[in-house]
Amino acid sequence: MDKYDVVVIGAGNGGLGAACRILNAGKTCLVCEKHNIPGGFATSFVRGRFEFEASLHEFNGIGTDEEPGSTRKLFEELGIADKIEWIQLKDAYHLISEKEGYDYVMPFGAEAFAKATGGLHPDGEKCVKEFLALCKQIREAMAYLGETKGKPDPKVMMERFPDYLACGSYSVNEGFEALGYPKEVVDNLNAYWCYLGADGNNMTFLHYANMINSYITGGAAIPKHRSHEISLACEERIHELGGDIWFNTEVVKILTDKKGHVRGVRLKDGREVESRHVIANCSPHLVYGKLLDSEAVPERAIKLTNFRKLAGKGFTVFLGLSRSAEELGITDHNYFIYDTSDSVKQYESMKTIGNTAAQATVCLNNADPDCSPEGTCIVYMTTLFTDDAWSLVDKEDYFKTKNKVAASMIERFEKATGTNIHDYIEEIAVATPETYARYCGHPQGTIYGYESQYYDGLMNRIQMVEEDRFVPGLRIGGGYGERLLGYPSSFKSGVNEAGRTLKDMEKEGR
Amino acid sequence: MAFKRSDVPGEDIRLAMEMTAKRRQLIDETPATPLVYEYGVNRLAKSLHPGFVKAAIADKIPCSADCVKISLEPVSGWEFPYFRAGQFITLSCKTGGSFLSRPYSIVSSPKEALAGKLEIIVQRKGIFSEFLIDKAAEGTELWAGEPSGDFHHDSVRDKGHILAIAGGSGVTPFLSMMKAIHEGSEDFRITLIYGARTKARIPFCPADFEGDGVETVVVLSDEEAEGYRHGFITADLLKEYIDDDTSVFMCGPNAMYGFVRKELESIGFDPARIRQERNSVGDREVSEIKVFRLTVHIRDAVYELDAPNNETLITALERAGIPAVVRCRNGSCGFCHSRVINGEYFIDKKDDFRRSADKKFGFIHPCSTYPESDIEIDIPIMNV
Repeated sequence: MDKYDVVVIGAGNGGLGAACRILNAGKTCLVCEKHNIPGGFATSFVRGRFEFEASLHEFNGIGTDEEPGSTRKLFEELGIADKIEWIQLKDAYHLISEKEGYDYVMPFGAEAFAKATGGLHPDGEKCVKEFLALCKQIREAMAYLGETKGKPDPKVMMERFPDYLACGSYSVNEGFEALGYPKEVVDNLNAYWCYLGADGNNMTFLHYANMINSYITGGAAIPKHRSHEISLACEERIHELGGDIWFNTEVVKILTDKKGHVRGVRLKDGREVESRHVIANCSPHLVYGKLLDSEAVPERAIKLTNFRKLAGKGFTVFLGLSRSAEELGITDHNYFIYDTSDSVKQYESMKTIGNTAAQATVCLNNADPDCSPEGTCIVYMTTLFTDDAWSLVDKEDYFKTKNKVAASMIERFEKATGTNIHDYIEEIAVATPETYARYCGHPQGTIYGYESQYYDGLMNRIQMVEEDRFVPGLRIGGGYGERLLGYPSSFKSGVNEAGRTLKDMEKEGR
Repeated sequence: MAFKRSDVPGEDIRLAMEMTAKRRQLIDETPATPLVYEYGVNRLAKSLHPGFVKAAIADKIPCSADCVKISLEPVSGWEFPYFRAGQFITLSCKTGGSFLSRPYSIVSSPKEALAGKLEIIVQRKGIFSEFLIDKAAEGTELWAGEPSGDFHHDSVRDKGHILAIAGGSGVTPFLSMMKAIHEGSEDFRITLIYGARTKARIPFCPADFEGDGVETVVVLSDEEAEGYRHGFITADLLKEYIDDDTSVFMCGPNAMYGFVRKELESIGFDPARIRQERNSVGDREVSEIKVFRLTVHIRDAVYELDAPNNETLITALERAGIPAVVRCRNGSCGFCHSRVINGEYFIDKKDDFRRSADKKFGFIHPCSTYPESDIEIDIPIMNV
């Protein structure tokens, strides 16, 4: 068939979510994926006797079978919830920060987290309780805004959500300063900053508060069979609903008609597929810079795209170790290891290669003891480069440079945790910005889409989502979308754009 | 209320309400300069991983009784990428109604690739090697897959000294490594122990490689000759070349792996420090050859063909002339990742490198999978 109601470009989280949503509504849908498997970064790979998770550290919004979180509910609606087996994580994180001398484990759960913060500072418990109450108000305000479709009753807003209204212009750092919490408490609450990759001056307080609240109160989980399980669950669902996925199929052009409306796509081999609607799960840089003919791109789309900032470029060291986590003394699942808890300073030092070995590190066996053969374990360490330093690396230095950074991260982990792992490396894979650029084509090898900026944060993007689209029949969803990066966010963004596409189709049908 | 930037009532709310207007204004003020979507990172990624490269046979030189060294050059407009010494390429072409692909370790060095030369050693053992050795003339064009595989020295994982053990054409990745050490693109010590029956079967000249931390030892089993060791690659011989800083790399027939592993075990060598290159998955022994119906979907095209139970699915696809993607042919790389729509199949445990979710949802690597019933699969299109 060469004609579909909707063509989705890219089978990443956003593209898979979008396709499931479109197909659930009874429309026909083709997903074109340039790689040979679905998922984008949501995948895994095998080296020797180890299967490595490619990107996921932990998934929030899942909750439990009894108390499902928002993402699990969405998976249920799409018909993929039963296809994925989740493992709940025990603790939130093990924070180690060199400058301040922090080295402690934080549990999940509002009560437990508040209590543990009380161990860091006498006011800790009180502060966290107050903060989580504020987060609750923010969450409820967002839910109310959703229910009233962005047209809330101002009186209700003033009465029920005064803090939400007041903190809307605050960055994370401004917010915590206004709250006046002790440094130890703020540093602890800042631990998750690397998951969004923007420093505390640019990350909006509302967004960040909402995210940590989701983690701390709702907990986090991982799929039993790596994130590849989520991707294949979606693929299976797409086939069940009569949709198609074509792999090794790169879209090179989004075609428009004389009126500027989408009319289809052209594949790399020259074949054209007809469709009035396209959902692109790739970067607007690519969509407006290459996939669309320049006459189909309005000037404002170029301005908007130039206005955005490409977020952190990924770097990950994957290790298959020939000893168990227990034997090696690796006690936790999730480590945040920083030079400093000051996210602005940390962000600055992550601009160049070799300046820091700050990392978010996972030992998968501490969540799923069966993830590798007995007597072995899997550890992966991720860092971000906050500038385009890897564009300067020469090809003949590339392999040496990546191993130099990998070695420094391993050494840092060993020093921070008092372990020896380098003697037990049986398998290693190192992913650089080049690797991420290769697999998903992202400019500069960013893994976080567009970085949250003071004026380009979550709330602004949500409120301006219709203003930020320009080509009739085309919507862009995923990690570059209005909900920013992250597994649930990029998935939901794709689903949301699919919902909007369905509405576009309805309007056209009238 | 904690959030209070000034004493002006409602000031914070006003600032919050103005966020979108300010963003709108900033977008207006941004220049509409042409978008950059490809940066240095993207260009380097493309140059290291170009996908398939069109190459032509430049030269063929016999190098032992049953091996021929084939030199490839890129067809005009194409380039060979830089790679890790020890990696392999896949050569593909249409011959006699079949579309065939085979992996070959690269024998030339990374810098030679940049200069436009890729060499492989082809050992006579099947239909494609015979095509390359006997039929393919100079100038014959082939598709060369990008260099792949993790059979290379890794400065973080491996020790500084590699004890390289090879037999047959399995010496190729080590020849590349030794050249890489001499040209400075790799930095480690290597001792090559090469096992052959007679001098005539050695496909390289050991003296060409000595020096710069490279040592070669040839062990002949069926001949005694000056300058060569006699016998087998035994624990006693291995011990002479193992120090505290040694990792073992092996490339050769499966029988050699079994033998050497036992010898290494007998001297207490850590098995986590042994790496071996995987060999292609071939035909399997079956009590009775049965021929099944294989239905193949590639995008919206459907093909029907015969698939005997003693051959892998990829062999059946190739025989039928269907251009099927395949790279390593040993089950490990996942390049041929395919969906089983229905049907029974068999994968030998030692060749099963699928992800756990692949097993759960019924995905296979056709290069290591045998049919056990009529079977319907969906394979990715070949995108050369």
